[in-house]
Parts: sequence; C-alpha cells; structure tokens
Amino acid sequence: MKRSSLFSALLISASLPLSALAAETYKVDPAHTYPHFSISHLGFSTMHGRFDKTSGTITLDRAAKKGTVDITVDTRSLTTGFAKRDKDLRSPDFFNVAEFPTMTYKADSMTFKGDTPATVNGSLTLLGVTKPVKLTIDSFHCGIFPMNKKAKCGANASADIKRSNFGMKTFLPGIGDDVKLAFEIEAYKE
Amino acid sequence: MQELLNHPAVQGGVAPFIAALIAAIVLRRWNLAGLALIAGFIVTAFMVGSIGIEPLTATRKAILLGVLATLLGVALNKSTWRFMRATLACVGGLASIWVIWRILQQHNEFLTALPWAVGTASYVGWLVFWSDRLHSNPVRAGSAGVALGVGTGVAALFGSSVMLGLLGMSLGAASGAVLLLQLLSKQSLSCGRSFTLPLSLLAGLVGCLGVLSASLPWYALMAIAAIPSAAQIPVPQKSSMWLQSLQLSAAALLCAAGAIYLTWRVTGAPPI
Repeated sequence: MKRSSLFSALLISASLPLSALAAETYKVDPAHTYPHFSISHLGFSTMHGRFDKTSGTITLDRAAKKGTVDITVDTRSLTTGFAKRDKDLRSPDFFNVAEFPTMTYKADSMTFKGDTPATVNGSLTLLGVTKPVKLTIDSFHCGIFPMNKKAKCGANASADIKRSNFGMKTFLPGIGDDVKLAFEIEAYKE
Repeated sequence: MQELLNHPAVQGGVAPFIAALIAAIVLRRWNLAGLALIAGFIVTAFMVGSIGIEPLTATRKAILLGVLATLLGVALNKSTWRFMRATLACVGGLASIWVIWRILQQHNEFLTALPWAVGTASYVGWLVFWSDRLHSNPVRAGSAGVALGVGTGVAALFGSSVMLGLLGMSLGAASGAVLLLQLLSKQSLSCGRSFTLPLSLLAGLVGCLGVLSASLPWYALMAIAAIPSAAQIPVPQKSSMWLQSLQLSAAALLCAAGAIYLTWRVTGAPPI
C-alpha cells in the first residue's frame, strides 16, 4: 500500500513539469483582435459594433486538452461607425463606460475536438455583473506568421447573450435583448 | 399595454405624475404630501429598471440617497436649527462624492479626479442649500421642482442618456402633481424638507451624472443652479395661487430653458 502511494506520488510529481511544458501561453495581438456585437434595431435590421482595444492571454495545453482564457475589452473603444450612436452606447443607458470601462471574459475550461479547441466555458463580466457564457469556436488555426516568423494562433468564436442579464435594459424590447458576441482573435506564442 | 408602459413619455411623465398625485392626495392629511416626490421618482426608477443593489452603480446610489434624504427630510421637517441648511448642504455634497466614487476611480491621477469631485460636491451642496430656503413655501418649492426636473431631465436626455433624462423628468412630473393639487384645492400642502431635500439632491446628482457619464456640458448646470433662486423672486402676496405659481414657474423654467439650450447647442437632438 505504502509502496503504491509512493509510486503514485513520484509519477504525479514527474508528470507535472511535463504538463507545464506542454501548456503554451499566447498573448493577444491587439491589431488582429476585435470583439464584435450585433443586435436587432427595432426589428428593422441587425446593427453591428466593435471594440477596438482588447488585451489578454490564452494558455493551451493540447496534450491535456486544457486551456484558459483571460481577455479584457476596453468598452470605451466601442465604435459603430456613427459617432452620435457611439456616444449613446457609452452612456449609462448601455455600456456605462465612465463607471465600467472594461468587460472581461475569463475561462478555465475548454472542450476539444481532436486537438482543436471547440468550446470555451467561462464567465463574462459586463457592467459589474458576471454570468457564465459559453463561446463556440467556429475556426481555429495555428502556424508561423509569415511577416515576423513568430508562432501564432487565431480563432473565430461567438456566443449569444441577453443584455438584460447584465442590467442593460434601456429600450427593451425595441432594441433587442439578444446580443451576438463574436470574437476574431489572434495571439502570439510567448 | 406593455408597449405603453415602455414609452418614455409614460415612464418619465405620466406615471410619476399619477403616482405623485395619488401619494399627495393620500398623505396630505398627515402633512406628508412631500413624500409624493419620491413616490413619483421611484415609479420611474422602477420602470426604467434602475432599482437594485447589485451592482451598486452611481444611479442606484443616487436613488438610495433620494430615499434616505426623504426619510431625513421627514425627521427634520420641523427643525429650526440655524445651521441646518449649511449642514444639509455639506452632507449632501459629501454624499454626492460617494455616489460618483467609482467614476472618480477611473481617473489615473488624483489631480484629474479632484476637480470633478469638488465640482460635484459644490453643485449638489449649492442646490441643497438654496432649495432648503423653499421648504416652508410649498408653491415656490413646487415651481422650483417643476423647473429642476424639466431642466435636468431634458438636458440629460439631450446629453445622451435616456435613463438619466427620464429620472430627471420624473422629478418635474412629481413636482407638477404636488403643485397642481395645491392649485386645485386652493390650499398649500405641507411639503417641507421631505420634498425639497430629495428634490435638490436627486436633481443635483442626475445633473452631475449626466456630465460625468454622458455628454451633458458642465456649464449647463450653471443655469439649473439658478432655479432655486429664481423661485424666490418676489410675487404679489395678494394675487391668486395660480398667478403666483405661474410667475414663479415661468422664472424658474426660464433657467431650465437656458440649460436645455446650452446642452442642445453641444449635443443636438436627443437619442430617441
């Protein structure tokens, strides 16, 4: 019994450095990372907006099929292509950027299809409210970026949320409650 | 029905007016008609979805303070302490800093946050101080309330926040209900500090939040700051209550119109 426990402990301790080595850390490339949102405008059309400033890190351990995500979005960098609407969206009616200048997405659980991440199970914090949000990864690719020869991964991911769950209730139900969040994200290996 | 309840005119005007009118009719026999103001305001806050504790946003803190100010106003209605006005102004100013604390924290430098903190505390303290002079004259207080609500609300609406705009306008609607009840019944209602304290505090906070978190130009608040003084212009005591109210409201609303004009010059049409 004792011998077996000792053997297990040795096995675990020996495997730790290996799994640590297997985990790769990626730093978000802000020039190629843009969270988008789309929302129904009184049923007439679907309006789109995006955030221009995003930072964060992602770790991937493909062998262990594990990963973490820690993304921070600067909500002040919101743009929809129309300055007056952007001002409205930054006000306390919507993103309230004076009080909540960031939105974060943190996850420590991923599912894999083969050795490719398929979904990310994390939590989105918006307007001071944290709710579980599952991101579905639509495409994922890793390789060497030809311009600087650095290793990089990129993905397109999306999730559906209800803005009212985060306390954003202005103009409901005219301006839709269902919001599609889409992330186009690229990150360099550290 | 739901569509009607979601309409901004109902949320910021009709609903708080009716709620305040009912509250004033019911409570006037106990000399608590001043509570009509917070009744109207709370109805709007509920309709625009601002009632709640978590997360405790600046708007929610303002609503909480409005309720506490009403209770304090009831307790201090009869107080004649000579330093009461200055004390209330100081407390109101300090409380306003608590309301905007999270916004101030976003400033990286203490020196950049300081002017906003001082400006907010001064503006709220000013409104509390000068509005308190009206607490024993319900017609003047009601006229000032209409103008403070309309000025703050419409300016905030123009300044890119529908929620703040509706909250501000609800103060005007509730004040209008109290004023109308006095005119129809031809007798003054004992409103007291339970009316003027939350009125001035909430109007001040909504205005400051409009500046700090939306696009309300700070100098528009200068015109609103003149409203309590405008509601103290001399009017013939022998004239009817209707005429007095008309003169006082016109003077106060002129200041409100100035604030709205200054905001409109900067921001253009409202977002709705």
